[in-house]
Amino acid sequence: MQKLLIVIPAHNEEASIVPVVRDLIENYPQYDYVVVNDGSRDKTAALCRQNGFHLIDLPVNLGLAGAFQTGLRYAAEHDYDCAMQMDADGQHKPEYIAEMLAALEEGSDIVIGSRFLTVKKPKTLRMVGSYIISWSIRLTTGRAICDPTSGMRMFNRAMVQEFAENLNYGPEPDTISYLIKNGAKVKEVQVKMGERTAGQSYLTLWRSVQYMVKMSVSILLIQWFRKRDTETPYPERSL
Amino acid sequence: MTDQTVLRICLILGAFATAGYVLRRVRQARVQIEDTIYWLALSAVLLLVALFPGIAYWVSGLLGFVSPINCVYLIIIFLLLARQFMLSIRVSQLDSRLRVLTERVALNQQKQEDHDRDDKMDL
Repeated sequence: MQKLLIVIPAHNEEASIVPVVRDLIENYPQYDYVVVNDGSRDKTAALCRQNGFHLIDLPVNLGLAGAFQTGLRYAAEHDYDCAMQMDADGQHKPEYIAEMLAALEEGSDIVIGSRFLTVKKPKTLRMVGSYIISWSIRLTTGRAICDPTSGMRMFNRAMVQEFAENLNYGPEPDTISYLIKNGAKVKEVQVKMGERTAGQSYLTLWRSVQYMVKMSVSILLIQWFRKRDTETPYPERSL
Repeated sequence: MTDQTVLRICLILGAFATAGYVLRRVRQARVQIEDTIYWLALSAVLLLVALFPGIAYWVSGLLGFVSPINCVYLIIIFLLLARQFMLSIRVSQLDSRLRVLTERVALNQQKQEDHDRDDKMDL
């Protein structure tokens, strides 16, 4: 079996981090995990230390992309075969990991835990953004990604390396569309997600609008101009 | 009329030069995508005003400007000021992060040195 690292980025998740990680440790001991505390202002880091969880504690807040990249660097340096992102708020259910891992072993580069592969996507205001991003990816790559905003994504070794070492590789739909365009194999697996068990969603209305604008411009326009360079690692050193 | 044509050509060239430069930086992976959106939007606005000067006339009529060129200048100045404001907030945030990071590195180093000294005493 492939060695999998579960990266759990956590920003102010003191209410949910302990049950989420406990569930992993008790019911899924075959997987390794690491919590990346993204400069939380609450007791997230203290709770992890108190419970003896594997923890990477970022001294300043980097945002999701930075926290996740830290986890992937850890995975690359410790020779994991694959890595996945799992939210600390209990939305992502570990019972689907085995199925995603199987899909990855069949030769996919990225496996997305998708809410809407076999289930119809609801036509609600909250899903407008998801529709626009799906449509943008369809238009620019010709591939249907049913749930592009799902944070539950699994990456194989080559992708882990690429995500860990490069700029503009945030765990977001625009990176997915860019990689599809460059020949990466992306597969979706139907999953169910829970509601947030505690804490506050990061996405306020204004933030959602900003996010949508960024994603649309990025997918529809900017990704065409990017050049994939996996030869020279850590380009931020030359910034 | 002629000086307006020159202005329009300048706006078009400026818009393309900005977009071209920003996209080249993206291609070289030397800029983060979120930082390019403002400049791409700005070049889109410049291009739009250059191609359809009617927009500038309409807006300046709405705001009561005698000359639409003044209105274009004012809008550009406003956009640059807004950018300047956002940048100075960002620099301030970076500054405080850098301070926190430097302090953390120094404290870790001090901890390490204490640790090394204790190890030597034990020997």
